[in-house]
Amino acid sequence: MASESNHKRQWRNLLLNKGYQLRFTLVMVGLSTALMAGLGFWVMRVADETTTVSKSSIMGTPCPAIPSLSESAGSAGSADPVDAESPPAPGAKVPMNLDEPAPAPAPAPAPAAPGSAGSADAGDKAAGDTEEPGRPPRRKIEVNLDPMEMPPQAPKVATLPADYAAAVVKHWTCRLKIDAAKRSLEHGRDRILWVLIGTGLLLVLGLAVYGIKMTHKVAGPLFKVSLYLKKMRDGRFDKVYNLRKGDQLLDFYEHFRHAHAGVVKMQQADIERVQAVIAAAEAAGAGDEPAVGELRDLLARKEKSIE
Amino acid sequence: MSDPTAATPGLPPTLPSEKYKRKLSNYLLDKKLQLRYVLIVTLLSGVIASALGFLIYQQNRAASESIEQDLKVLMQKTTQDGFQEEIASDLESGDRALVYKMGLIGLGLVMILSLYLVIMTHRVAGPLFKMGIYFEQMAEGKLGKVTPLREGDLLQDFFAIFKAMHEAVRTRAGADADAMEAAVRKLRASPAGGKLAGELDALERHVAELRSQLTA
Repeated sequence: MASESNHKRQWRNLLLNKGYQLRFTLVMVGLSTALMAGLGFWVMRVADETTTVSKSSIMGTPCPAIPSLSESAGSAGSADPVDAESPPAPGAKVPMNLDEPAPAPAPAPAPAAPGSAGSADAGDKAAGDTEEPGRPPRRKIEVNLDPMEMPPQAPKVATLPADYAAAVVKHWTCRLKIDAAKRSLEHGRDRILWVLIGTGLLLVLGLAVYGIKMTHKVAGPLFKVSLYLKKMRDGRFDKVYNLRKGDQLLDFYEHFRHAHAGVVKMQQADIERVQAVIAAAEAAGAGDEPAVGELRDLLARKEKSIE
Repeated sequence: MSDPTAATPGLPPTLPSEKYKRKLSNYLLDKKLQLRYVLIVTLLSGVIASALGFLIYQQNRAASESIEQDLKVLMQKTTQDGFQEEIASDLESGDRALVYKMGLIGLGLVMILSLYLVIMTHRVAGPLFKMGIYFEQMAEGKLGKVTPLREGDLLQDFFAIFKAMHEAVRTRAGADADAMEAAVRKLRASPAGGKLAGELDALERHVAELRSQLTA
């Protein structure tokens, strides 16, 4: 037992009293895991809701539009502030780059004036060829196709509004800000998840390690006391040494030491009484009595027990 | 012998033997041992709940600020000035409610873990307290009978070792008393009995005292 007084803690000896230590620690770890799972479920639900609300809000933030580029035939003009990304509205007029204005709707065919250029006359002549008796004579139209020449198309020139660059920068800055805000929200949600997992693991592992270590500080003195108790059961009342530094149950150990000392005191009282009787018997010449021999055996056993 | 665990801590047991029931007031039998666990676990779970609470508040506040910003833009086009403040106030009170909710949940976490630890450590401290009282009685030379632990108590194996030791010491003390008593009887009957009367009387008193301690 003397060597035990300098006994150092070792990892392999951490589980001295498996039943007590594991039961205590596992129940604590199981309970904290269940609590952390419940807390985590609630936290992630709130985080998801919050992230969704924030993202919806950010997505609805309007950004300034980019003005559309207008094209004109060689002349600079102001561009319509129409978003280039949006399609033209149905029925909107698309500017055409033609030399002549768009032809007006064809007027109703006017009656041919008498004496006008020969188309009408020719028509009349042709109609006369197939005239049928009793029917009015058909009018004939003569089409004169003159050769046409398409004029060369004027080069198209894109015109930039004065604040076009600033508007583009403004638009994309806004879009990038929205994207960054979205990413930040997702990052925040992920951070909550990871912190939750990390703290959950920390709590569970921390409590497991702490539980084993702390119960070891209780199990250590109990182990030591149990060794003394077994010796006392076998009738040996050796010297009791101090606990290790950091051990708990100091008060309990003091109670045990008192008990040990009390039992030793009882043995010593027995020894004193028996020694006195043996001495008196020897002095009276009764040292050879069998009863004195029995007392000697008793004395020897008791003296050995407190060595 | 009375049940030592029925006694008030610090005072000698005086009540007759009865089945001891757990009482709420007796749950902290060994304050130093029990509160050490409770304090550390409370701190650990408190830190975790606070960290999570801070993060979730931050996320919620970001959502509220985003909504408030949108509202500000919208409200510039309308004349309902009070509406924006009303919504902002609602959002702020929602954020505060989340903080309170998180605080309550953290408190619940701490309370449940602490309560569990007090109960678990009580199941360790109870047997230790009981054995402590038996040890003090042994210190006074009293070797009365040992009653079993309560249902649900931990350290049953350890208590079994203690009980075996106590029974062995008690049995051996009884056997020694018997042996000394027999020796006294034989020596009184011997021719030198008269000369040994004084020492034999003293030994007899000692044996009687020993026997009384075995039934104390």
